[in-house]
Amino acid sequence: MRQRFQILNDPRFRLVYNERRPFIEGPEPVKARLNREGFDLVDGLKKKSKVYPGMLLATHPSIGKGDLHSPMYGEISEINHRSIFINACEPDESLPHVEPINILEEGKTGDELILQLKQMGVNTKSLGQDVKTLYINGLNPDPGVTWAEPMLCSNGQNLHAGIELHKRLSKADRIVLVVPKGMQVSYDNIDVIHVEPEYPKSVNALLVKEITKKENPEDVGVVGLHNIWSLGRVGTTGLPLMETVITVGSQTKWANYIVKNGMWIGQLLDYAGIDLQDGDTILRGGPLRGECLDRLDRSITKGTTGLFVVESGAVPPMEGHSPCINCGACIQVCPARLNPSTLSRYAEFANYNACYVEHSTSCVECGLCGYVCIARRPVLQYIRLANAKIKQMHEFVWEENK
Amino acid sequence: MSNMDKKILFSMSAAPFWHCGRTVRGNSIHTVIALALVLIMAFWHWGLPVLGVVALSCFVSMLTEEFWNKVMGRSSTLTDGTAFVSGMLLACLLPATAPYWLVIIGAFCAITFGKMAFGGYGANPVCTVVVGWAMIFVSFPIYMDPNAMLLQTDFIDPLVRLKYFGPANVEASIHFSELLLGKQIGALGAAQNLGIILGGIYLLARGVIRLEIVVSFVFGVLFLGGILNMVNPELYANPVYHILTGSTLFCAFFLATEFSGAPDRPLGMILYGLCGGMLVIIIRTYGIYTDGAPFAVMLINLLSPYFDMIQPKPFGVKQ
Repeated sequence: MRQRFQILNDPRFRLVYNERRPFIEGPEPVKARLNREGFDLVDGLKKKSKVYPGMLLATHPSIGKGDLHSPMYGEISEINHRSIFINACEPDESLPHVEPINILEEGKTGDELILQLKQMGVNTKSLGQDVKTLYINGLNPDPGVTWAEPMLCSNGQNLHAGIELHKRLSKADRIVLVVPKGMQVSYDNIDVIHVEPEYPKSVNALLVKEITKKENPEDVGVVGLHNIWSLGRVGTTGLPLMETVITVGSQTKWANYIVKNGMWIGQLLDYAGIDLQDGDTILRGGPLRGECLDRLDRSITKGTTGLFVVESGAVPPMEGHSPCINCGACIQVCPARLNPSTLSRYAEFANYNACYVEHSTSCVECGLCGYVCIARRPVLQYIRLANAKIKQMHEFVWEENK
Repeated sequence: MSNMDKKILFSMSAAPFWHCGRTVRGNSIHTVIALALVLIMAFWHWGLPVLGVVALSCFVSMLTEEFWNKVMGRSSTLTDGTAFVSGMLLACLLPATAPYWLVIIGAFCAITFGKMAFGGYGANPVCTVVVGWAMIFVSFPIYMDPNAMLLQTDFIDPLVRLKYFGPANVEASIHFSELLLGKQIGALGAAQNLGIILGGIYLLARGVIRLEIVVSFVFGVLFLGGILNMVNPELYANPVYHILTGSTLFCAFFLATEFSGAPDRPLGMILYGLCGGMLVIIIRTYGIYTDGAPFAVMLINLLSPYFDMIQPKPFGVKQ
């Protein structure tokens, strides 16, 4: 209570926003940029190839990662090692159509269904987890992201289809839907748990702790509501997954859009009526855990949960060279009981081993440490850096010993 | 006009992109506001000399910081306001009629040995102000003694009475309300208890200082003072006198709570405050100084790495 009053005194951290507006269909992309890292292109796909909506462009060798489909009619303008660029063109009747498949009626289950969904572009890694209990995280993942409530309350058909499909493919004995306290939802044959929707609780590890009172218990998995929605989208349309739901927000404008995969963020911001100025920050993902973008020709990808603009002057600027002043605010808010100030200093001076000894890998990456840092240090970034380096080191050692 | 047609320079940052809005500079401004209440009361009791001491102390602090930044080849840190705050805090521990050279030496020593020697704001293990205060207090005890420096006054010095005349004398000659209003001989700011309490509550509400430290510090004084008082009321004064005299409250609200020297977790902060409070009583009762509160702060600052060792297991870590 006191901590909330003094340090996290921000009403946006309550993850219920009473958002009831239906999702807005996003614009048809003029240009698209699809991430192809790790994907194998289909044979014959090259520059100037004509593409049509739902056309398979690339497959991923991993079973957990969905294949890549074209979101629109267009012509491939460039393919490099990271991306496929498409320029939109008029619908061409001579190109083939993708016929919808009614997955719900086909009645496939288990691994067979997982394979089919992967081929339709759904990321199935978290859906097919081999655990006893699987929780569907029905909270908005980050403060400011508002699609969870409309998804649960007014988008019933889609979610029904998603949950139904999920039940068929899941290996879990029990599937539970976790929703914010006070929300009235009921779905057939699925248990509903209510939790207090305060921000860090939407982080998967903390959500599990909140429900089971155990830290990192075995045989428990969490799947995001966003993923279930994608599943439902494929189930209801019968087409490969070509879009995602995201919250587009600035300080004054908030709305949820269904956006085609690969859409340039510049076009989307124009469509949302958000005007940018010098010094603004644009970010993809949530405002606490997302990533910063440098150009407007970056794109929305399948798993993206939001696109936000932080106006210049809205937050104190991060100046880069700012030493830790030992105020201890990060230590007080850290839900993982870490010492982010010390970890960030170890990482700053490349002492990753010390980070490992001090359990930096227990970090749940909620971002509160950076939110409260009065010296404006990139605390979370340092911890992420340390953890990435630790992972590299371990992989290296593992390779050496093999 | 479409965003795509404009040439926009974005500012890059790292997650999280939202921020609570609190900055070092903001904290300094809040502290200055809180101290303003204390200084208004000091001005009411002691008049113009107060302004002279405070202004000189702030000026020398800032000048010293700028000087060391130049010498060390660093960019200026004056805009964060911490040197100004240190100057104000130091002035509050001096007698209102402190000579100018004493103020200059004090402010210079505080910033040099209490702050810049360790690398700047937040890196110092001991409260900046207490370092400067201790150096001039030990070197020039006469000039730092408010009882000797403030001769033209009707107020009395409760701590001197307590030490040399016994508790009964103090309780007969000065009332709690007078102590609260600062009608006592003492350091310029540290004796203005009402202003300190109001300013301290303001800082608590703003999240600049930590409640655990303040409460446990005061409780430490009440606890040990209370025990001694119960054992022998003739010899040991009511602990409330200890809280309202000298610089106990000032230390509890403004000095012990300085971030860099204080522990970071609740249990550590509570032990830290309790130790501080009890040390105040021990120094006053058995030490040679009439007011030992800043020394108590210095000692607990040095202990705080040990209090910081009390930490829970991180998330999901077994054994």
